[in-house]
Amino acid sequence: MKDLKHLYYFENLLQDVNNDLVRQAQEEGQTVIGITCYQIPEIILNLPGCFSVRMRAPRTGSMEMGTYYMTSLTCEYCRAMLERSLEGGYQFLDAMISPASCSQLADCMENIEVLKLCKKEKFFIQHVDTPMKSDENGVNHMIKMSRLKVLNKLKEVYGIDTSDDALKKAVALHNEVCRIITEIGEYRKEENPRITGYEFAVLCLITYCCPKDLILDKLRETAEELKTREPDKDYKKKYRARVLVAGSECDDPELIKLIEEAGALVVADRYCFGSFPGRQELILNEEVDILTQICQQTVIQCQCPRYMNTDRIQERKDYIDQLAKEYHADGLIYQQMKFCNFWGYERAASTHIMRDDYGWPVLSVDRPYVVGNSGQMRTRVQAFVESIEIKKIQGGDR
Amino acid sequence: MSRRIGSQPLGNFYNGGKTRTHREWRGFKDTWYDYTRWLFLWKTMIKFMLHPQNLKGFFRYRWMVNYLATLDFLDRHTEGLRGPQLRIAHMEFDLIVEHMCDTMSSLFAADANIGGDPQKSKKIVVFDENMMTQIMNGFPNLHCVCMEIPPIYTASTMCQDAVTHYIDVAEEYGVPSDVCPMPAAELGVAIDDDYPIVGCCAVQCNTTCDGSMMGNGIEARRFDIPMFQLAVPIRYTDPDTKDYAAQEIKNAIKFIEDTTGETFDWNRYFECMKVFNKETEYFREWLEISRTDYPQVVGNNVALYRDAYYQVCGGRDSHFMKNEKAICDIMMKAYQEKNQIVGEVRHRAILWGVQAQYYSAFPLWLQNCWGIVPLIDMLSLTSTDLYSEDDKEQAFYDMADLYAKMNMRNRSEGGYEVGVEDLWRFCEEFRADMVIMYEHVGCKSMTGYHGLFEEEARKHNMHLIWVTHGLMDPRKASRSDMRTEVNRYMHTVLQEKPLDPSLENFDDGNAW
Ligand code: SF4
Ligand code: SF4
Repeated sequence: MKDLKHLYYFENLLQDVNNDLVRQAQEEGQTVIGITCYQIPEIILNLPGCFSVRMRAPRTGSMEMGTYYMTSLTCEYCRAMLERSLEGGYQFLDAMISPASCSQLADCMENIEVLKLCKKEKFFIQHVDTPMKSDENGVNHMIKMSRLKVLNKLKEVYGIDTSDDALKKAVALHNEVCRIITEIGEYRKEENPRITGYEFAVLCLITYCCPKDLILDKLRETAEELKTREPDKDYKKKYRARVLVAGSECDDPELIKLIEEAGALVVADRYCFGSFPGRQELILNEEVDILTQICQQTVIQCQCPRYMNTDRIQERKDYIDQLAKEYHADGLIYQQMKFCNFWGYERAASTHIMRDDYGWPVLSVDRPYVVGNSGQMRTRVQAFVESIEIKKIQGGDR
Repeated sequence: MSRRIGSQPLGNFYNGGKTRTHREWRGFKDTWYDYTRWLFLWKTMIKFMLHPQNLKGFFRYRWMVNYLATLDFLDRHTEGLRGPQLRIAHMEFDLIVEHMCDTMSSLFAADANIGGDPQKSKKIVVFDENMMTQIMNGFPNLHCVCMEIPPIYTASTMCQDAVTHYIDVAEEYGVPSDVCPMPAAELGVAIDDDYPIVGCCAVQCNTTCDGSMMGNGIEARRFDIPMFQLAVPIRYTDPDTKDYAAQEIKNAIKFIEDTTGETFDWNRYFECMKVFNKETEYFREWLEISRTDYPQVVGNNVALYRDAYYQVCGGRDSHFMKNEKAICDIMMKAYQEKNQIVGEVRHRAILWGVQAQYYSAFPLWLQNCWGIVPLIDMLSLTSTDLYSEDDKEQAFYDMADLYAKMNMRNRSEGGYEVGVEDLWRFCEEFRADMVIMYEHVGCKSMTGYHGLFEEEARKHNMHLIWVTHGLMDPRKASRSDMRTEVNRYMHTVLQEKPLDPSLENFDDGNAW
């Protein structure tokens, strides 16, 4: 396939958290908020005058200092972030929002706070309790926390307009981004997709890492370009299976590239900071208060394993099953950041359930934060692809 | 060998076998007292085993075999004790043994796995381990069972390798080997179908941490009864989370009412809270005395007992209150007599982090070997507030507060303020000069503070001794490994000699 015109540009932006567009927006007077997790509605962090940036640690090498503070037995994403903070890599941030997502992430944030690693005068880290069930009480809690801990704080410290009008504008911008990403993502359903999982991962991730209004042009152009893009002729040779990837946070498209190089085209992304969930439009109605609608969407769509009600646990499996069918996947890859409690358990259970109850071939792997050229991962995926092929030859359903 | 503390080299009791070589001579009076309690415990256990249904349970469940070590457990947890401390230990542990026998009898009486009575089963509400039970104070006709306590929690203190089989089962299922062995073992029991089948409904809770909550989710698939998940705020110290938490309690109560047909009995609830408050007042007195030069109720005499009455009984069993009153009397007398609990008090220590279940007698070793007095441990430092005895609306908030401040959870969740900062406050209050810092290798909740603890300890001029362990899995770090870390520090940094040199190195790798 012909290279996407702006792919290289986007890839470059992902090389740095404080990239050109972030700097540009900040120079124009915007407030930058670092986020680590999608438990807090992204929309309320992207009001006129502020925008959110996904805290990542691209090009991580050593994590020695992070390991000193958090030991070698914690999630590497958390350690890499702490390391990056100790190196001064998040000094540009005006605030961080730290939802009570997982305890390791909370510890990481508290290390950053206690060690005073971000020095801007008005900088703050806001710890926010978030619900663990998707019922009415959970939604109410989310509304309260969003209002008190996020909106009020942004207004108080940075004078951000948090009115309903401002929220409406944020929803409109969010929806615009979602429409484009959804349109592009739909191509992955094609028998011979005109976009690879890696390309899609770059485009999707960019929407979490840059001020949204500054990427819209190039995203639109990319969507236009894709309308007429010719898919690869040798698709079947390159990709011998189609897979859905689920699991822990993944902020490095190199992981997807590695999977695809091993012969499995990634057609659906159900991991934190992928498009499911996160890149769905919010269609507002006039009857219900706007913040309520935003929070409802976040709570109801959230697929994080920390949602503990039994029906929600079951829904997570149904959701993956439905996505995999919709995108014509041949198998599922559950990947888990090593030392992640949530996904450690979710992966273990899902491997059995998705295989036994839903009939999907499942590859279950743990991985470091920096996947790089992990030979082990490549070998596991190759073996998985082969097993799917053998099943197909033997005439199995999947 | 005499009634004097430290008169016997305690390490000589161990020769690499399952049990100790002989019983301790504590002088005539104390030895006689200890012996009579030993006989009492035999009686309690024989009575338990004589019941046919309990016998069936014994042969049905592999974890029951661990309880054969109960008497050894008692010996381990009274090692080197004399006078008031010996009596306090027996008063506490003997009551716990009786309580456990009762709990297991009710469990087996209703257990469908061994032909138990379905009518009795209908009266049981299944709760999580580590979960507060105060909600049940309002349901006098129902019985609450913390399901994981008999197979895992208590069993792992009886016998050091009690639950390793279940940890392995969970790992074979696919749970990563780096997770905390507690939820992993609990899940292992479920996978092995080794939980009694009882209950008309269950209430699960996001108790101690992410791992334990996730384990619950999978376990729930094995329990074929209606289930409610009680979500307690993570950042519970934030006042803005209180309404959410109180509403969760209301929803949980409604769930129990709807599934059982019972109605929440406010009178009974407040009666129990009166007992609970009284117990808290006694506990405050214990702490008060521990701040003085003559602490009396310390180490193991706080750690395991506090768990039982604060959490499992929650005010429903007034025997505990009476027991505490009696302990207070002994304590005050001993304090007035300036009784020292070890031959020589060299250090006053706070024990922080999560203790090793397979070495719950470790605090006793600290005092016997090195004269380090284990004033109080992190898990026991739960809420010491008094709760409303008559205000119904306030009661929902009270229960929510208690559920947030469950044993372990009140430090493993809640953030830096309760996990780290409080430690230095306690050090000051208790005039401690040392922190024994448990580092449980599988605990993802406290590990992230490792570097901050180091730095803060230096700032506070505090001796900080890391003791690495594997909570319920001695294969990760043995009892001897734990002792070695203290021995090293005491020799190299403090250049001290042990009070009892026989305890420095001895072989208990194979012991119960
Ligand atoms: S990958 Fe897991 S452990 Fe790491 S931050 Fe995310 S949820 Fe937490
Ligand atoms: S020891 Fe740590 S990881 Fe284990 S249950 Fe307790 S808080 Fe959770």
